[in-house]
Amino acid sequence: MKTVFKREFLSFFRTPIGYVFIGVFTALSGVIFYLYNIVELSGELLIFLSQLTLLLMLLSPLLTMRLLSEETRKQSEKLLLSSPVPLPSIILGKFLAAAAVMLIAIALTNVCTVIMMIYGTVFVGEWFVGYLGFTLQAMSFLAIDMFLTCFTVSQASAALLAFAGNLVLWMIDLIADAVPVTAVANILQFLSLYDRYEPFILGQLSFASISFFVAFIALFVIATMRLLDARRFSQGGAV
Amino acid sequence: MVEVLDVSKRYGRVQALSGVSLTAEKGRVLGLLGQNGAGKTTLLNIITGCLAPSSGSVKLGGKDPLLNPAQAKRALGYMPEHPPLYDEMTVEEYLRFASELKNVPRADIPGHVREIMRSTGLTEMRLRLLSHLSKGYRQRVGLAQALCGNPEVLVFDEPTVGLDPKQITEIRALIKTLSKEHTIIFSSHILPEVRQLCDSVAILHRGELKLFAALGSLGGGSATVHCRIQGEAKKLHPALQHLDDLQSMQALPSSEHGVIAVSLTFGKTAMPEKQVFTLCSAMGTPILRMTRHEDDLEQIFLQAIAE
Repeated sequence: MKTVFKREFLSFFRTPIGYVFIGVFTALSGVIFYLYNIVELSGELLIFLSQLTLLLMLLSPLLTMRLLSEETRKQSEKLLLSSPVPLPSIILGKFLAAAAVMLIAIALTNVCTVIMMIYGTVFVGEWFVGYLGFTLQAMSFLAIDMFLTCFTVSQASAALLAFAGNLVLWMIDLIADAVPVTAVANILQFLSLYDRYEPFILGQLSFASISFFVAFIALFVIATMRLLDARRFSQGGAV
Repeated sequence: MVEVLDVSKRYGRVQALSGVSLTAEKGRVLGLLGQNGAGKTTLLNIITGCLAPSSGSVKLGGKDPLLNPAQAKRALGYMPEHPPLYDEMTVEEYLRFASELKNVPRADIPGHVREIMRSTGLTEMRLRLLSHLSKGYRQRVGLAQALCGNPEVLVFDEPTVGLDPKQITEIRALIKTLSKEHTIIFSSHILPEVRQLCDSVAILHRGELKLFAALGSLGGGSATVHCRIQGEAKKLHPALQHLDDLQSMQALPSSEHGVIAVSLTFGKTAMPEKQVFTLCSAMGTPILRMTRHEDDLEQIFLQAIAE
């Protein structure tokens, strides 16, 4: 897993993707910080973090779009599949590499936290809860995006599919409100990342939400492994 | 040793492989022949564990690559038809990565990679990005990654496709050298290549194994010599028929006056060129052209895939 992680992580910075992602994420988080905190004269760290979710939705597909689709398109996956490294380690290595790049981008948003600390007060507990929730949410987007990219070999299609998935996931509570069948509405509400993230925005350390996010991430990482493994056994062409 | 036991693979309605069984002995080279779409790549992907068979099984050194992937694949090096390269890496970085995947001890990797680059002629290119390499060098890097970890079994899928004649010669020479220490399975539809490199041959056609035999046993090892000799047919034909181990003689059309053309087929113990030369020399009839055709793998292939 370490070998795959190292290669994937370095490849983000040997192609423009890692720089573009971190650059655009940092620049846009600066714009959000300016609009919601500086212009409004607000020292609310959690409001700033809640607005950053939009960036996750828009930009996380950049990190996942080539993780698997590129391997399939260029057939470089055969190097990995014919090696003694188990498939779960390959997928986990790839996911963690994307997660590491995401963590760098998230860490850089702390420049805004430092500015808030200079001109106001940021409580350590508030910072911890806010960033924990935001990081878990980011990892959830990465997990589902990686899963969705298994369905295509084109990077552009992978990015588009992941973005659509993120959008649906984020709007799922709105969709739930519009569904007349209560049972279905409840299930959709349960899956809402927005609802799960809300306690963190309010400064509450919610173990239920943490458990949900961890389970959500694990579910989609394992689903990715199972899907790719199933392809080897496929009887009907590409899965 | 590689054992393929009654392997079948189905893609929807298409039966890509049906009941294929063959073995590749240690230290031998097995050539997989077949037309495009015959099932060669599917079989190689199954042997290497990239695909699972619909039924049947594969054993690499006695281990199933699906049930014991870590153990089975440790003994395996695979070069797919399109070398599995990461363009943003240099040759050396890529081979270090491949060595790490094959569990080569960290301390041994630099020396191991150096040795592989030396044997595959990549040392001068070690700092080049893979995206900047020519087709021939990319193919070599693909072959080099298969050697990482010094696997006992090497599987090559059409290793010389798309290369220029010089590169083809180099890759074939490399495979020939590797065959001394490894079990090699490679697919090709270039018959002379198979003749040159392989100990045994398996012919696939529409997913079925049509022939699996040692190359020496095919066609009884006979050789055919086509000659154009200046002289009279009535003297030459009877004389030629008395050559040792001659199995058949066929007169071929000749447009030149006073020149005969014949096709002579000998058994495997004969030395056809030497016999013909000695005879013609004694008779004072100059040989204008003499070409040898080994037992015709092309014919065997065409017969095997005939409906």
